[in-house]
Amino acid sequence: MQPFLQQLCIILAVVLVAPLIGGLLNGVDRILTARLQGRYGPPLLQPFYDVIKLIGKERITVNSTQMLYVITSLFFAVLSLVMFALRQDLLMIVFVLAFSHIALIIGAMSVRSPYSKIGAQREIIQMMAYEPVIVLMVVGIYLITGSFMIDSVYAHPSQLALRLPLVFLAFLYVLTIKLRKSPFDLSTSHHGHQELIKGLTTEFSGLQLAVIELTHWYELVLLLGMITLFFAQPVVVYGIPIWIGGLVALGAFVFEIIIDNICARTSLAWMLKMTWLAGLGAAVTNIIWLYLATGR
Amino acid sequence: MQANIILAALILLPALSALLCLVFRSKVIRTPLVILTTLLMAAASGYLIYAVVGANGNLKLDLPESIFAIIGWVIKAVDLTVLAYIIFRGVRARRFTSPILAVMQLVVLLALQAFGNVIEPAQPLTIDFLSLTLILLASIIGPLILVFAIGYMEEHEAHLHLVKSRQPRFFAILFLFLCVMNALAMADNLLWMYTFWEVTTLCSFLLIGHDETDEANRNAFRTLDLNMIGGVAFILAISIIWHNQHTIAMTDIVRMPLAGHFGGFFAVAIALLCLAGFTKSAQFPFQSWLLGAMVAPTPVSALLHSSTMVKAGVYLLVRLSPVITESTLGTIVAFAGGFTFMAASAIAISQSNGKRVLAYSTIANLGLIVCCAGIGTQVALGSAILLIIFHAISKGMLFLCIGTIEQGIGSRDIEDMQGLLKRMPYTTFIAVIGMISMLLPPFGVLMTKWLAIESSVHYPLVLLLIILGSAFSVVFWGKWIGIILTMSYKAKYLYEKLRPTMSVTLMIFLVGVVTASCAIAPLFNFLVSPQLKAGYDGLLLSAGDGGLWLSNGSSLPVGGIYAVPLFLILFAVVAAIPAFISRTRPERVKPPYFGGELANNDIRGIDFIGPGDKVEQVIVHNYYMTNIFGEKRLSIWASLIALATILVMFGVTLFGVTL
Amino acid sequence: MSIMRNSRIKSPWIVHFDCNSCNGCDIETLACLTPMYDVERFGIINVGNPKHADILLVTGSANYRNARVLRNIYNQMPEPKAVVAIGVCACTGGIFRECYNVLGGIDQVIPVDVYVPGCSPKPEAIIDGVVLALEVLGKKEHPVATETEHEEVEHTQYA
Repeated sequence: MQPFLQQLCIILAVVLVAPLIGGLLNGVDRILTARLQGRYGPPLLQPFYDVIKLIGKERITVNSTQMLYVITSLFFAVLSLVMFALRQDLLMIVFVLAFSHIALIIGAMSVRSPYSKIGAQREIIQMMAYEPVIVLMVVGIYLITGSFMIDSVYAHPSQLALRLPLVFLAFLYVLTIKLRKSPFDLSTSHHGHQELIKGLTTEFSGLQLAVIELTHWYELVLLLGMITLFFAQPVVVYGIPIWIGGLVALGAFVFEIIIDNICARTSLAWMLKMTWLAGLGAAVTNIIWLYLATGR
Repeated sequence: MQANIILAALILLPALSALLCLVFRSKVIRTPLVILTTLLMAAASGYLIYAVVGANGNLKLDLPESIFAIIGWVIKAVDLTVLAYIIFRGVRARRFTSPILAVMQLVVLLALQAFGNVIEPAQPLTIDFLSLTLILLASIIGPLILVFAIGYMEEHEAHLHLVKSRQPRFFAILFLFLCVMNALAMADNLLWMYTFWEVTTLCSFLLIGHDETDEANRNAFRTLDLNMIGGVAFILAISIIWHNQHTIAMTDIVRMPLAGHFGGFFAVAIALLCLAGFTKSAQFPFQSWLLGAMVAPTPVSALLHSSTMVKAGVYLLVRLSPVITESTLGTIVAFAGGFTFMAASAIAISQSNGKRVLAYSTIANLGLIVCCAGIGTQVALGSAILLIIFHAISKGMLFLCIGTIEQGIGSRDIEDMQGLLKRMPYTTFIAVIGMISMLLPPFGVLMTKWLAIESSVHYPLVLLLIILGSAFSVVFWGKWIGIILTMSYKAKYLYEKLRPTMSVTLMIFLVGVVTASCAIAPLFNFLVSPQLKAGYDGLLLSAGDGGLWLSNGSSLPVGGIYAVPLFLILFAVVAAIPAFISRTRPERVKPPYFGGELANNDIRGIDFIGPGDKVEQVIVHNYYMTNIFGEKRLSIWASLIALATILVMFGVTLFGVTL
Repeated sequence: MSIMRNSRIKSPWIVHFDCNSCNGCDIETLACLTPMYDVERFGIINVGNPKHADILLVTGSANYRNARVLRNIYNQMPEPKAVVAIGVCACTGGIFRECYNVLGGIDQVIPVDVYVPGCSPKPEAIIDGVVLALEVLGKKEHPVATETEHEEVEHTQYA
């Protein structure tokens, strides 16, 4: 197949299949949460019912530009996932994802609602908290593979996580923030919980909320994809290669759900302090170790 | 022939216009004069590009030696006049720091001229691609800002109820500044560069004090004081370099890298030049003058304090980059720049005065340029020059927007800009694009931040500072964009009435910002790449396929991005805006949720029924977090650390360690 | 059964408003969310925000003051929506019917689809009521044609 055609197939596959995976993972999230709480939980396909119902709601809005921001956010989230699938520059993927977040934040701030605005402010502070850690993760990968392109991760002979353990742990730490799970679900919380009513997403309804849901699904797939980068090489057991990257990603997801159900929400100041102390500290330690080990 | 055209259009023309503005004080003559000068300077810049490309990046202005000698004497006279005037103004205002510094400069200068037997370089005016970049900024953006100022100053003086217009003085000094800025970019002779440097300081002083209020005068003198420190450093550096290396031509100095050599007098001189650059570009601990300079009228802030004058400082550092790269001095400069980037971005979070936010952002971006110049690899230098270009355009545009907004709503506070989209949609749209261009991919400033991160990987502390600064800058831009786009539903948008010079200039800037970022690949290949002849540390920057790419010698890229496809998506989004806005019908609009007690179903979302059936207003402000990012707290710490860095810098160069 | 109708029935999001209830019905309503009764099996989530909700659960009777608030919340809900009046106070005014400030049940203010009487009704009854509301919701038309269903807004002047 010509490379362009192959790329087009990859893009289509990603755009169409990723939300399905994201939705199923969300469904698993809700069932697991319910079982941990001693409940029965909704059916597995519940997130899909939710999104379809939201699409069918009346199209109300609070101002004229909300839909625009939400769709921009979706576009750029999809774009960053597509870039990831096409194995582009990892640092740029992080920045394009940041664009998606900013679009949502601006959309939330464009409404004159205190819940929405305060949620947006908290979301901005959250971005400030986790962005350094993620960029350091990318830099750590660069220090080992010598390239920012994702190709080089797959070409590298050993598992990245063996030399980036602290960076991996820091990434798990900020994954909690990005997935909006306790203890860091400060700007808006996911289903079943409320924070600032619905915080960032309070004034979005119907189709707009469905688009935000889809954005979260694409982002979930992207984040789990980033985890697989740490375990990119298959482990051969009895002659069968097992792609443990995917397994670790699912494991991390389950871990996040468990943490969500154990912890209470923290305050903004605490989150900022702990993310920088623990998350940034761990990542910086790892980078310095790498820097000293590989030499200049 | 070439030399004459270039000199005439880029240096003599603005000087002539300055004179004409002072002589013919009427607006009827001034307006066409400004527009004519703008067009002529733009044409000259175009011709200059052609000439520099033709000369392969090494255009020397070939004037007869006698002319250069005459110019030399004129410049000496200008030196003395400027310093004498500064002493006079300082003494008259009873502020003695500047006169003392001016006397110091005078002493060193006279000693050098009298006893140094200085031989001036034969080719004092040369233009390579870096000079070309600065000249393009000063000759295209500069006059455009002057065109904007035509409309802006009308309004400004009407606000102040001035009986006698002070615009002739204003425009004259601005034209003089443009003339000197172009000359500075062309100067290869360090003594000439020093003179032009001091004249820009003087212009800045005169323009900040233009409104002649107490605050303006105080800030003008602070500018003078801090910039004069740089001037003293500059002239001292020239003296040391002359005695040490017997040359004062920049092209010679650039060929003497410090890496691997012992420290000594030459290294100290380079450190002094770096210090001069720091003062001119308002790095910590010298940042207070740029913040005080925000009292000046907006065109001054846009032209001097974001696009051109402060770029002179980083221009010097980028010029010196081949000298300091890979040495301890370079690492310290990189740290100083990165630290400024982080500290200024942090303080900007706590500011609610729009112009102060822009000022801190300028300081931060200048810090990033300094940082890249200190690192000095091919990628870092490319990033520095690109950032000079993109920052100048975007920040200039943002300052013009905030000037327009300030005249529109009477306030520069960010909190008062809520709902601006409805009152001033044209300006808001342009301001938002400007802010987005400072913050997000695929615009140029973010690309340079990406490049800076990719090039500073081997300096972990500097890397951390850049990353933190980048995270902070997202916060204050995001907050501002959010507030400015706050709106409740309104069926019709106000048709904004702006003076034609202002609105046309803003549109030209907008087109410039978008085009420059879209065309980043040709821009890089054309203007920046030829300048980057230095060897690479394994990473090579190139442009093509509509994007920028990093490679390390093998055929596969190590990092890169297609900028153009991202822009296409962005254009699609922007084009869809009117469609979205028109689709909203009034019956679909609901008020925001306030727990159910909106007054009269107020869809604006402002009136709330409080206890006792009283109507309260809902006011939501941004977080400013002054207890963490407060200006006083952070400024003191940042200034101390920066001062320590500078002392370390001098210590390292003075005490003869291996650099 | 179209996909849309199916999804609407399988994913009802509720917002709960207490008019002037003694909180007895509220406790029973919120008990439905606990593991004992677990209404999330039906996909029900308590979103606190009328803009996200399909079903409005109201407890307590309507009085002059909370009539404005109730109408406000009802208006902010996008179609299709259903209202469930929980407890006899919400249905008819209940034990407070004769008070000077009470207007009666909430059907004096907004259209009600399901009445769940009781003081206070058991969670099983409340769940039955919500399931009935789901049937009503499923029968509602696609919201495109519902321009006429908007509630009249009373413009009251305030001091």
